[in-house]
Amino acid sequence: MSVRARPTSPHLQIYRWTITMAMSILHRATGIANYAGMALFAIWLVAAAMGQEALTAVNFIYGSWLGQVALFGFTWSLVHHMLGGLRHWVWDFAVMMEPGQREALAWATLAGSVILTLLIWTVFVWAA
Amino acid sequence: MRETPITKTIIADPRSHYGNGPASTRHFITQRVTGLVNVVFLGLLLFLVVRLAGQDRTDLVAVIGNMVVGLPLMVLIAIVAVHMRNGMRDTLEDYFAGRMYRLVMGLNTFFCLVVALAGIGAVAKIVFWG
Repeated sequence: MSVRARPTSPHLQIYRWTITMAMSILHRATGIANYAGMALFAIWLVAAAMGQEALTAVNFIYGSWLGQVALFGFTWSLVHHMLGGLRHWVWDFAVMMEPGQREALAWATLAGSVILTLLIWTVFVWAA
Repeated sequence: MRETPITKTIIADPRSHYGNGPASTRHFITQRVTGLVNVVFLGLLLFLVVRLAGQDRTDLVAVIGNMVVGLPLMVLIAIVAVHMRNGMRDTLEDYFAGRMYRLVMGLNTFFCLVVALAGIGAVAKIVFWG
């Protein structure tokens, strides 16, 4: 299937930032991050399939402070993308689209993703 | 990267077959359905990572090697790969066209295939051969 060149606009420089626009951009950005992050999960599984030695090495890298920062970011990215996707499901039913409602939903996505991520890490990592 | 620019005339003219209606609808539905299934995947991923992070292989094989966990995990990884390829296509379509688009789309398919095959293969190895 051939794809034609699409018009691009200098939207980032020109338009006043709105929360719905920011969440739309974040949805794409977190989608790309999750795309790359899935490789981390695949590497972990492959190492586990290979043997204890490989698994120990991967566990060491993922357990280092850099690995933990990456995994924390990956958690937030996954949660944010999930909430953003669910928001699209809500909009697909043509509800919550009026002014005020859509902004509230966008803010809820952002707040929800931060709260859920902190909750997951507090309960399962920091307090465990 | 830029080919023929899109004008109003091209879009308004039904003979220009601007876009592909059935494919776009299929793409949309696929993305929504796989996305919803991915909520389940996220739950399973969270369970596995929380339960198994830093654990020894024996422990990992006991959990993932269980068919009740391993088989759904393989199916969910495949669905995630479909969602990944579809989603990346949305991005690529916005910025690339023509030959460049076909090239990056090929790389996209390749990456998603590698992730899916590596993940599913690893889980299958753990489930069937320990």
